[in-house]
Amino acid sequence: MQLPAYYEFCNSVKTIVGHKALEQIPQSLKAINAQRPMIITDKGVEQAGLIKIVQAAMQKSKLKAAAIFDSVPADSDVKVVNEVAKLYRSKKCDSIIAVGGGSVLDTAKGANILVSENAADLMQFVGYGNVKRKLRPLVAVPTTAGTGSEVTSVAVIANHEKNIKMAFGSLFLLPDIAILDSRMTKTLPPTITAFTGMDALTHAVEAYFCLAKNPLSDTTALAAIQLIAQNLVNVVKKPSDLDGRLALALASNLAGMAFSNSMVGLVHNIGHAIGGVCGVPHGICMNILLPYGLEYNMHKAAQHIGQLLYPLAGEEVYNKTPVKERPLKTVEYIRKLIQDLHDATDGKHPRFLKEVYDKTGKQMIPKEKLHDIAKTAMSDPAQFYNPEDLDYNDYIMVLEAAWEGIPLDRKKIKKG
Amino acid sequence: MNALQYPEIKPKKKFIKRIYIAVMLWVVGRAIQAAAKVDKEVKEEFAKLKDNFLLKMWIWPNGPSMYVGKTKDGKVKYLGWKDKGYKPTLTMTIKSVEAAMLLFTFQEATAIATTRNRLVVDGDLPDACALVRILNIVEVYLLPKIIAKLAVKRYPKCSQMNPFRKHFGRILIYVRAFTF
Repeated sequence: MQLPAYYEFCNSVKTIVGHKALEQIPQSLKAINAQRPMIITDKGVEQAGLIKIVQAAMQKSKLKAAAIFDSVPADSDVKVVNEVAKLYRSKKCDSIIAVGGGSVLDTAKGANILVSENAADLMQFVGYGNVKRKLRPLVAVPTTAGTGSEVTSVAVIANHEKNIKMAFGSLFLLPDIAILDSRMTKTLPPTITAFTGMDALTHAVEAYFCLAKNPLSDTTALAAIQLIAQNLVNVVKKPSDLDGRLALALASNLAGMAFSNSMVGLVHNIGHAIGGVCGVPHGICMNILLPYGLEYNMHKAAQHIGQLLYPLAGEEVYNKTPVKERPLKTVEYIRKLIQDLHDATDGKHPRFLKEVYDKTGKQMIPKEKLHDIAKTAMSDPAQFYNPEDLDYNDYIMVLEAAWEGIPLDRKKIKKG
Repeated sequence: MNALQYPEIKPKKKFIKRIYIAVMLWVVGRAIQAAAKVDKEVKEEFAKLKDNFLLKMWIWPNGPSMYVGKTKDGKVKYLGWKDKGYKPTLTMTIKSVEAAMLLFTFQEATAIATTRNRLVVDGDLPDACALVRILNIVEVYLLPKIIAKLAVKRYPKCSQMNPFRKHFGRILIYVRAFTF
């Protein structure tokens, strides 16, 4: 294990995990002196009947939501945050229960800043460290197993009028409580289960081999990788496997803990750019780019990448594989995992950038967009944490290979 | 035991370290100004930055500091170490004198210092990315290869920066940085 001369790690979230973990909401709220919670969610979660499960868990202790906001869009927006804050104030709520994916949790974090600071404009809190004091109680109930937002200290909220994405970072944005209940992800369709699981795997893998890795984040990253390797394909094939669902929810949580402390590298760097230029869901980009991120950095992080074979493939394969071959074998295993997910979803899970289509069947990443993506990627700070440096031509090389679906020609990677 | 009997422990001023860092900031600031005239890549990076771009690089909490900005006619200028009421668009704060020493004695690469949370950047992130690229090029010009390799993630090969550009550019940057 690598012991850096200096590192930082913080995770202050109380995490409650179980098949009926939601039943702990009333007691947990009472413990943090919250009596009038507001539920924030989106239409999809509401229509899937998940809010009823949350309400039923609360009613057993005669606790009622003081307000419910169920219209959070897929892309968190500052207007929605303001609406949520307005409802919170008018109903005199004293805490928030956010039930949903990354967008819902980010919206809840944004609204919590406004109501706790008694502010009207989120702009003054943009950036890192501008939220400087404890916010109102926030309970996060994730309904996807991928983003890990329930244990991260950041939120990204769009301002569509100004066409910008505002990033907020502060340890005070960490929720007070995260509740992982298998019922919350049970109805997640196999395709979404597949790419959100790969999102969590990417968080853990990048946290493990990128520059800010440390022994504490390594521990959570390795555990997350093992849980995903053992459960993801099985759950995609058998969505009602509640034990598998809970294992993936935990994996996402552990991976979130790892990457919010160790940050991420090339895969997220390019993934953010593809999301910005072409509007492709984040998890899909992560799934496709992960093997390329490993190949690109192999000469700098071979030892760490080789170590990932253990949680991915198990003890027997790890021990049988010579040390020198382990890094390549790790990439081979991840490519096999992507292929297995592709097969398990009847080809709906994309393996390459050219295979990504929208609901109307239109290709989302035309090859001519690769140049715009590369230029955008050059302005993304995730590159700071990547072991190897990148210039415009390097981005193009990775993007072209990922678009075609061919492994990177590692002889072409520039080494210092 | 009376706590008041114990003398207050005051942090040392670290004069020599501060002087060393101030000199290094001066050299880097002057070299950025010179590189913006000499090197095409640095020139292009600055051209993409907004017209009122102004960098403040400083050591928390009391300095030393260094200011570099774009003038009204688009030229890049080292503006000195004194705050003359500048409004920086990008502030790079090094958290302590010791962290700055690690960085400026090249015991710790810029990338590693960033990952170890020794630097705080306040401003537009795309500008910060461009600045890191500029600093990398300037370091390659200023430092001998054996030291520059410690400071940058990837030292450019001849195919990326031909020897003529590197050595001729180095002479020009040193001359410009230390003369006018």
